[in-house]
Amino acid sequence: MGQLKLSGVTKTFGKAQVIRPTDLVIEDGDFAVFVGPSGCGKSTMLRMIAGLEEVTDGTIEIDGRVVNDLPPVKRGISMVFQSYALYPHMSVYENIAFPLRVARTPQAEVDKLVNRAADVLQLQSRLQHRPGALSGGQRQRVAIGRAIVREPSVFLFDEPLSNLDAALRAEMRVELSRLHAQLGNTMIYVTHDQIEAMTMADKIIVLRDGMIEQAGDPLTLYHQPRNRFVAGFIGNPTMNFLPVTATGVGEGGVTVRGEDGAEILIPVSAEGVRTGDTLSLGVRPDDLHPGEGEAGMPLVPDVVERLGNQTVVYANTRSGTPVCVVAGGSEDVRPGREIRARFDPADAHLFRADDTALARRVDLARLAALA
Amino acid sequence: MIHKYTLWEKIGLYSAIAVFLIFVLAPFAEAFMVSLRPIESVFRVPYQFFSDDMTFAAYVDMWSEVPGLARYIFNSFFIAACVTLLAIVCIIPAAYSFSRFDYRGRNSLLTAFLAINMVGAAVLIIPLYKLMFSLGLLNSYWSMILPGAAFTVPTGIFLMRSYFLRIPKELEEAAYVDGAGRLYTLWRVILPVALPGIVVVTITTFITAYAQQFLFALTFNGKDEYHPLTVGLYQFFGRERILWNQVMAASLVGTLPVLIVYVFLQKYIVAGLTAGAVKE
Ligand SMILES: Nc1ncnc2c1ncn2[C@@H]1O[C@H](COP(=O)(O)OP(=O)(O)OP(=O)(O)O)[C@@H](O)[C@H]1O
Ligand SMILES: [Mg+2]
Repeated sequence: MGQLKLSGVTKTFGKAQVIRPTDLVIEDGDFAVFVGPSGCGKSTMLRMIAGLEEVTDGTIEIDGRVVNDLPPVKRGISMVFQSYALYPHMSVYENIAFPLRVARTPQAEVDKLVNRAADVLQLQSRLQHRPGALSGGQRQRVAIGRAIVREPSVFLFDEPLSNLDAALRAEMRVELSRLHAQLGNTMIYVTHDQIEAMTMADKIIVLRDGMIEQAGDPLTLYHQPRNRFVAGFIGNPTMNFLPVTATGVGEGGVTVRGEDGAEILIPVSAEGVRTGDTLSLGVRPDDLHPGEGEAGMPLVPDVVERLGNQTVVYANTRSGTPVCVVAGGSEDVRPGREIRARFDPADAHLFRADDTALARRVDLARLAALA
Repeated sequence: MIHKYTLWEKIGLYSAIAVFLIFVLAPFAEAFMVSLRPIESVFRVPYQFFSDDMTFAAYVDMWSEVPGLARYIFNSFFIAACVTLLAIVCIIPAAYSFSRFDYRGRNSLLTAFLAINMVGAAVLIIPLYKLMFSLGLLNSYWSMILPGAAFTVPTGIFLMRSYFLRIPKELEEAAYVDGAGRLYTLWRVILPVALPGIVVVTITTFITAYAQQFLFALTFNGKDEYHPLTVGLYQFFGRERILWNQVMAASLVGTLPVLIVYVFLQKYIVAGLTAGAVKE
C-alpha cells in the first residue's frame, strides 16, 4: 500500500532538462530521502510525484497504478510544503480538518480524526489557535497534521525542517522518525541536511543535475559510494581526495604512490585500472589519525577547531592539497607545526580518472545487521 | 528596527503632517463654518471665522428648500453601492485570473484595461451616450451604474491583482493537494486571506463611484427622481442668489454615507492577516 515506481521520468522547463530520464522504485513503508545540492531537481521530483507538476515523459506508478494524469488526492499522496502553507485565517483545528472538509466527511468523523492527529503531534492545547500564534515547530506540526489526517499511502515532505533552529530540528527529526514507525506509510523526504538523511532514511537517493547518482541505504552510500560526487556528498566533514598514481595492480588490490613517494596497497577491486593510471585516493577525515602508521602522510595544519569532544584540523599536504582530519579532543595539534596522519588502507576509497569508484571490500551484510 | 528620532526630526515630522492635514481638512472646516452662517453673513467683509450669528438653521431649511434632497442623497448612496457591488463581482474573478493563470494576451489585456482608464470617461461620453441610447438605458439608474462600474473596474483589477500576487502560491497548492477544486480554494482560502485587499478595493471603488456620478448623471439621466446629490445640489442655485450655506450643509450631509461605509469596513483592513501562513 504505497509502493512508488518511476520509469523514465523526465522533466523539461522550456528547453532546460531539469530531470534527466529517471528510474526509481521506493518500496512500501520505506522512508526515502532525496538529497543533493541546491537546484538539482529535488523539489521538482517531489512535485511531479505529488501531481503538482506534469511529467514531460515517462510514467509514475503508485501501487502498480499509473497516476500520471491523476490529481494529488486520487494518487493517495499528501504533502508537507517547504514553507508550511497553513491557512492563516483558520484555526489549527480547521487547518488539520481541511482535507476532510473538502471530502465532506461527517462532523463526528472529523472530530475523531483531527483529535487523533492532534494527539500524535501533541497539538491538543493549540487546536483553537490561529497559525500566526504558533511557534515554528508547532506550525510545522500543524502542516504535518493536515497531511496525516487523510491517511494517505505516500507522504511527501519538502525540506520541512529547514528554517527551524538546531534544537528544534533535532526534536522534529526524532518526532518524524517516530511518526514513521507509528504510521508505517511510505515517506519521501527532501533535505539538504546530511544528518537528517543519514538518521531517518531507509533509502537515500543522491541527485545531481537532475540525475540519480546513487540510491541505496545510508550505510551503503557511506561505505560504497559509486562515485566521487556521492563520496563527497555523504559524510561530514567531506571526504579528502588526494591525487595518486597506480603502480601495481593485483589480487590484493591496487598499489598507489602518493605525492610524497610512499606506496600504499589499497584493498579494492582493480577492475579497469592499469599501472600508471592517475587515480584519486579518498580518505574520510574520521579515518585519519595523527601519528605514524603503515599508510600516512605529512600534513601542515592551517586552522584547528576544537569542539571539545573532537578536534577538526584543516591542513595541507606538502604540495598544497587541502586535507581535513578529525582528531581526538585533546590532541596536541598547532597551526603551522607539521604532523603526520595515518590511516588504515582498508578504510580508503579509490576513484578512477572519470570519478567512478573502485569497488571496496566491505562486509555490508554485517553493517546491514546493525541497521 | 529600533529608531529613535531626535527632537528636531520629530518636530519636522509633526509639522509636515500638520501641514498636510491642514491642506486636506481646511476646505471641510471652511465648508462647515459656511454652513453655520446665515446667508447674509457668508460674504461678510472683513472675514470672521467665528461670529455670534452662527446657527444650524441651514441644516433644517435645506430639506424644505429642496424637497428632493433626501431622495438625492439616497440615490447617490444607492448608485455608488450598486456600482461597487457590480464592480467587485467583476474585479475579483478578473484579478484572480490575471494573477494566477497564464494565457496568451494576458498582459496586453491588462494594459488595455489601464489604457481605457487613462483615456477616461469624459472623452468617451458621446460614444457612451449612443451606447446607452441604443440599449434603451437612458434616464434610468442603470445609465449611471453601468458606466460607473465600467470605469472603476480597471483600477480595481490592478489593485486586487497585486494583492492576489502577494498570496503565496503554496496555499493554493496545499489546497489542491488536499483535494480542493479551484472554486472551493478561491472561496475558502484565497478570498478570506485576501479580505483586507478586497475591503481596500471596495472602499476606493465606493469613493470613486460616489464622486464620479456627476458626469454620468448629467449626461445620461434626465429624470429628477434618479438624480444623485451632486446634480441635486444645483437646485440650490439659479434663484436670485445661491444659498451657499445650505449647499455646504447638504454637501456635508451627503458625505456621511461615504464616512459610514468607511467606518464599517475599515476594521477589516488589518495588516498581517497572512501571519503564520508560510515561513517568513
Ligand atoms: N517553474 C520552473 N520553470 C523553470 N525552471 C524551473 C522551474 N522550477 C524549477 N526550475 C529549475 O529546475 C531546477 C531544479 O529546481 P528544484 O526546485 O527542483 O531544485 P531543488 O533541488 O529543490 O533546489 P533547492 O534545494 O534549492 O530547493 C532549477 O535549476 C530551477 O531553476
Ligand atoms: Mg527545493
